[in-house]
Amino acid sequence: MEEEREKKVKFSINDHQDILVEILKRVDGRSLGVAACVCRQWRSLSRHDSLWENICFRHVSPPPYDVRHVVVALGGYRRLYMVCLRPLLTRLSCRLSRLDSVADQEEERVRSNRVWTRDEVQLSLSLFSIDYYERLVLGASVGDEAFTSTSSSSTSSSSSLMFLYKAVNV
Amino acid sequence: MGPYDASIPTGSGSCSSSSSSSCARKASDVDGLLAGAGYKVKSSDLLQVAKRLERLETFMVNTPSEISQQLASDTVHYNPTDLASWVDSLLSEFNHNYNQPHSFSSSVSDLSDFTADLHFSSVPDYWIEKNYTSPPHHPLTAVAAAATEEDSGIRLVHLLMTCAESVQRGDVSLAGSLIDYMQTLLSQVNRSSGIGKVAGYFIDALSRRLFYPQAVCAGSAFENEIWYHHFYEACPYLKFAHFTANQAILEAFDGHDCLHVIDFNLMYGLQWPALIQALALRPGGPPFLRITGIGPASPDGHDSLRGIGLKLAELARSVNVRFAFRGVAASRLDHVKPWMLKVGPAEVVAVNSIMQLHRLLSSEESLDTVLAWIRSLKPRIVTVVEQEANHNEPEFLDRFTESLYYYSTMFDSLEACTIQPEKTVAEMYIQREICNIVSCEGLARVERHEPLAKWKARLGAAGFWPLHLGSNAFKQANMLLTLFSAEGYCVEEKEGCLTIGWHSRPLIAASAWQAAPDPPPDPVPTPAPHVVVSS
Repeated sequence: MEEEREKKVKFSINDHQDILVEILKRVDGRSLGVAACVCRQWRSLSRHDSLWENICFRHVSPPPYDVRHVVVALGGYRRLYMVCLRPLLTRLSCRLSRLDSVADQEEERVRSNRVWTRDEVQLSLSLFSIDYYERLVLGASVGDEAFTSTSSSSTSSSSSLMFLYKAVNV
Repeated sequence: MGPYDASIPTGSGSCSSSSSSSCARKASDVDGLLAGAGYKVKSSDLLQVAKRLERLETFMVNTPSEISQQLASDTVHYNPTDLASWVDSLLSEFNHNYNQPHSFSSSVSDLSDFTADLHFSSVPDYWIEKNYTSPPHHPLTAVAAAATEEDSGIRLVHLLMTCAESVQRGDVSLAGSLIDYMQTLLSQVNRSSGIGKVAGYFIDALSRRLFYPQAVCAGSAFENEIWYHHFYEACPYLKFAHFTANQAILEAFDGHDCLHVIDFNLMYGLQWPALIQALALRPGGPPFLRITGIGPASPDGHDSLRGIGLKLAELARSVNVRFAFRGVAASRLDHVKPWMLKVGPAEVVAVNSIMQLHRLLSSEESLDTVLAWIRSLKPRIVTVVEQEANHNEPEFLDRFTESLYYYSTMFDSLEACTIQPEKTVAEMYIQREICNIVSCEGLARVERHEPLAKWKARLGAAGFWPLHLGSNAFKQANMLLTLFSAEGYCVEEKEGCLTIGWHSRPLIAASAWQAAPDPPPDPVPTPAPHVVVSS
């Protein structure tokens, strides 16, 4: 049905990259990752770091002061999100929802609309700098695994961010 | 599970073998040791009592917690001095009483208080005189675990204590045979976790002490760095240390532009990327940062300190922080002289010691020397992180007992780690410490941990004033812990110092200090050492 409508109007979103970018600026991290799997064009678009910048700090209140040059130097917003922010967010909201024992719907709401504090931003930036440093010193880090989103064998050297990926309930 | 969470005496077997001598010694009718505890038991009846207590223990282990709780708290002691019939009455009473739900954790504490009194002469005298009245709050995770396995674990602990006591006495033959017996017992216990693993390391350390006292307990500098790195990743202790110290240093450096950090143990320099990044984002622009890293000289000639410095410089360059690095190679901290650090006149100094000060305690002079030259640098802040343990008592047995408890807790927390090979190699890091504490003496024994209270006294006496670690450090530490999946870690704040621990047993303590404004005392002259300095 939607296809017919599209054919009638002869509109393809792929021809209107600026609109596409505006849309992608507003989705959450997971959706952006999914969008990267749609086609080559979408993939190259969703790799733009500026899109990820929105995702990283959209919910931060107050917004961090001039972190861009640091984040870019240490690997970019996309890597920051994949390697540090996403696991941190997930873990923190897991804790929160576990504590509150709320229904699934509310849990989802908590996860997506959570406002970040400056402390959490600070911590994730610190962890990000350690990730960068370990890549410098050891040649690689396990953050690489999350970053390339493959399940290839992790490098022999290890990262201090390993613990974010292997969640275990004790 | 630690060694002391079920201090229920084991059965009659150990009574008859290891304390037959003590039984024979008490010529009087009533057993002297138990009489001291308030229980009148005839020496001839000891075997019977032991059997009954073993029955009671099996009963308590196998019944649901509610009943055990009732046993622990609601029992009325009719003539408790008659131990034998009292235990009988307990057993018969609880065969027909049920259903009193209570919280599990309080039942554990009641149980341990209750059974602490029942501890009797299956181990030598000192154990009872020690008065272990408050065992740790480890939740008994598997009460229904095989009673024999727990039995063996408890026996192992008792045997370890006996062996250590005989080592202290100099009774090498008894110690040797105990070690052999323990090794056979180890085969019955699960060596891959819990008490089996810890006991294995302590047995190795004891046999080293007896048979290879000259053997060195440390790896090469290269190995040490690798073990350190894996320990860094497997558990949060080092991360806690680094993040807390960084936060304190950041706050102390606020408003200053020419910063100098002296790191007493550089390793891979993992502490500093976070500090550099935080300085890069400081409102008002990044300051100039110099880091001086102290570490052992590399044996093969390649300058590892300088290599790390280059990496740190690269990171600093990426984030636009003006940076300089100097490495000082020294095998011991008291070989370092202040002039080697080349502190500039306008620089604000921070001294960072992560688990290094205790290594100087083999001679009081060494520590005094180092504290004096630290003070002479007029540092804005001195961050000190140390193990929260008492492993420097003069008596070997005290050290052994304390370290058994401490490292059991630490291994317990390591169980939660699932990443390999980090977990296994982290164990080697811990095992090296255990080995040093138990099997080395004199200058070779460098792991001389002391609790925070003692460090406070020492630093206070050396002319330092405490600085409170602020609430930011506490919040950050808590946030860091939420990232770790295991839920047993806890951060506590006490008089401005932070400790991280496992299930309410603090393991690492972090504190911050500043030099008191009095004129520094004359430094104690030290003998001229051989030192290699690279810059």
